[in-house]
Amino acid sequence: MNPTTSEQIDLAERTVRETLGLGADEVSVSVSQGSHTTVQRRDGKVEQATEATTRGLSLSLMVDDRYSSHGTSDLRPEALTQFLKNAIAATRFLEPDPDRALPDPALCGRGSTDAELDVFDPAFNDYTPADRSKTGQEIEAAVVASGLDNVISSSAYIADGSSKSARVTSTGFAEETHGAWFALGGETTLATPDGKRPEASAYYAGRYLSDLPSIETIQAEIVRRANERLNSGPIESGKYPMILLNQVAGRILGVIGGPLSGGSLHHDRSCLKGKLGESIGSKLFTIVDDPTIPRGLGSRAWDGDTLIAKPRTIVKNGVLESYYLNTYYGRKLDMAPTTGGRSNWVIPGGDQSWQEIAKAFPKAILVTGFLGGNSNGVTGNFSFGVRGVLLENGVPTKNLSEMNVAGGVLDIFHKLSAVANDTWTFSSTRSPTLVFEDVQFSGT
Amino acid sequence: MHTLSPERWFEQFGVDDALTLRVLATATQHGADDADLYFEHSVSTSVGLSDHKVNRAHTSVDLGVGVRVVIGDQVGYAYTEDLSEVAMKRAAAIAAEIARDGHASVPPQQIRSGKVHDFYPVKRQWSDVGVAERVPLVREWESQAFSRDERVKNVQVGLSDADKHILIVRADGTRVADYRPMTTAYVSVTSSEGDKTEAGGFNLAGRAGIDFFTQERQDRLVDEAVKRSVDALHAGPAPAGEMPVVLAAGSSGILLHEAIGHGLEADFNRKGISIFADRMNSRIASDEVTIVDDATLPHDRGAINVDDEGSPTQKTALVQNGVLKSYLHDRISARHYGVDPTGSGRRESFRSTVLPRMSSTYMESGPHDPAEIIASVEKGIYCVTFSNGQVQIGAGDFAFYVRQAYLIENGKLTRPIKDVNLIGNGPKVLETIDMVGNDLKIDDGGWTCGKDGQSVPVSQGMPTVRVASLSVGGQS
Repeated sequence: MNPTTSEQIDLAERTVRETLGLGADEVSVSVSQGSHTTVQRRDGKVEQATEATTRGLSLSLMVDDRYSSHGTSDLRPEALTQFLKNAIAATRFLEPDPDRALPDPALCGRGSTDAELDVFDPAFNDYTPADRSKTGQEIEAAVVASGLDNVISSSAYIADGSSKSARVTSTGFAEETHGAWFALGGETTLATPDGKRPEASAYYAGRYLSDLPSIETIQAEIVRRANERLNSGPIESGKYPMILLNQVAGRILGVIGGPLSGGSLHHDRSCLKGKLGESIGSKLFTIVDDPTIPRGLGSRAWDGDTLIAKPRTIVKNGVLESYYLNTYYGRKLDMAPTTGGRSNWVIPGGDQSWQEIAKAFPKAILVTGFLGGNSNGVTGNFSFGVRGVLLENGVPTKNLSEMNVAGGVLDIFHKLSAVANDTWTFSSTRSPTLVFEDVQFSGT
Repeated sequence: MHTLSPERWFEQFGVDDALTLRVLATATQHGADDADLYFEHSVSTSVGLSDHKVNRAHTSVDLGVGVRVVIGDQVGYAYTEDLSEVAMKRAAAIAAEIARDGHASVPPQQIRSGKVHDFYPVKRQWSDVGVAERVPLVREWESQAFSRDERVKNVQVGLSDADKHILIVRADGTRVADYRPMTTAYVSVTSSEGDKTEAGGFNLAGRAGIDFFTQERQDRLVDEAVKRSVDALHAGPAPAGEMPVVLAAGSSGILLHEAIGHGLEADFNRKGISIFADRMNSRIASDEVTIVDDATLPHDRGAINVDDEGSPTQKTALVQNGVLKSYLHDRISARHYGVDPTGSGRRESFRSTVLPRMSSTYMESGPHDPAEIIASVEKGIYCVTFSNGQVQIGAGDFAFYVRQAYLIENGKLTRPIKDVNLIGNGPKVLETIDMVGNDLKIDDGGWTCGKDGQSVPVSQGMPTVRVASLSVGGQS
């Protein structure tokens, strides 16, 4: 059965009318309903099976130039009415902030149709518990049969879900959308001679079931990661070229996310304030925020303010071109709003594989995972725990763990010297493997 | 004023003993080693100040029930926000599928009350505190922050609170209910001096009502936030490499949380995937090290009167004088190991199933004067404030992020440093904690622990300790 959203539009429209009738001047209402199923298998049997349908309503409102937001899962009519009355009463105690008003309706609407975004796989409706069970058993069997020595435990993970949501505002926006997602993966834990029990896992997510990798690919990835966890340790502190694997590149790229936000800029907490039009990276550093990618995990038709979702270049050939400004912070900063939050990030790739690029370095660190760490959006400094592999002329010579990488937002992207040809598509960060030179690592 | 007792709270939503017995009968229709219904009703409010105005508020209501059916170590789980009998029985039937090949068990015929502590009584629930009472507090904290130091340029303040009622009805007919208040306040400060700008913040949290905010706490909230911001103006980059690390008393309990706490959660151990899986009753640290997990601290953020599957909570000695003595058990792992549960079964909400989790994890005081510990280090760092951490359960590698610290040179604190990740291996680091101070301090910040996608409130504590060697992720 295809999802229908008319009940949600109806509830959202009724709530808008009721909220206005109770005294609000403006209101934006979102009604969502979803379902999800998760099955985890371990050591030959189902470890946990979870299934649920869920629902909720959220709204933001203005009363006498005062702003508040609210959410509830208690949708009984009498409870909802009391909830709205309480929301409006609470708002009256606040101080006016007219910049919170809803956006100019001319900026609002759909950027793409659901058909163009293609985020609902028709196969979702036909995906049965028996299918999940079969896939789970196959993944687990593949992990068990991977040929790894000293396996303590192996597991498989299968999950999927769908969501339907409607958005209605008192300024005339009324749209609905629906999507689905699938995820699967596996994990194995090994006993090693040093007494450790390193785990290796591989998980993938996608909008279409058919976009997910084969079980053989999952098996091979788990084996690769497991082999990288054996006999690992730190090497001497120093500066090394960093080859940042595509699937974990989002961790370093993400350090510019906070400083790009309107809130950080407005509150003087951004190292990127005043940098529009300036170089913040090498010519290879480009980020496009694209909410229109068919089947993209971060794709959307409108943003949190109901602004039309469209592609935006954030950084082009190293030059900062755009901030993330929602309606509120656009007004605060006296700048045109862009969008309040990221969708899909696309980082253009190059022509070579990272393996080819790595041959040029006598020593380089291939970063394959992170552990802890954080960044300071004001200074731009970051420090993350890493694991990976030491490469010498492209040849793996030692598995690495218990090491950190450190740097600064205003410095690291100038060190981007190569991009590989292997864009990762199982994430909203679509990056190839990135190569940085002269990066500070700490170990022994 | 609310007059319903926690045990009767859900009657306002049509949930009574007879209905819960009928839903449990559906849940156990194919048999079960264990089963429970977990009802939750949460009402939360937050108000925020920025640009010198208390200019935003958020409220939320969450209502629903989770149904769990357990066969051996297998779990079937379903939940619904609809508390009608039809919806709850539908969820119960889905959860029961895990036991499809089993045999029907006899459902409970009557309800009896279970034991519940009283670690966080409040004079008024938050639902009886109007937004009008919250607003002056927030305004005052901003005003005080600006008055503390002329370098303060921007202040943001938030006050959040929640009333959470839960009701658990177990397969044996045991019913327990709890009222769980929670409040968190933060002050975030941006300071400038010359061409330098820095930010710092501080937060306080507890299971308490509005009287949590004593004058002492309000002053500390503001003082610490301002101090962290202006101190950072003169802090430099951290060094890189392995070196001795002294952890200040209080929030450095994050080391315990990451280095050993998660590894002692019994689900990881019964599956054999924790690095501590075969180390029970063996020595893992020096005699000076005793580590506990304690859900009984009054009004503590990690306190719970009863855990989320109805077991009484307690103070559990995990490591006693260096010897591993206990894991943190939920009922599944307790059955696996043939021990009593430690009251550690927790869940984020009715949408989540139970996992063994920490509450307040801390190290008991040792024999050393804190000044003696700092003086013992020739070259290292002294870590004061922290933000986050992470661990790999099987490998034992862990990391935590230090916001502010000082270099130790020849036994003295010299220049301030900031923003550095520390990384190590749990068992190795525990073995190298060689000095424990006599100044245990439980931190009352708003710590939240994540596991399997679930977040639960926790706290942590530590006396001053010396770790012989950790890898410091600095820039020089």
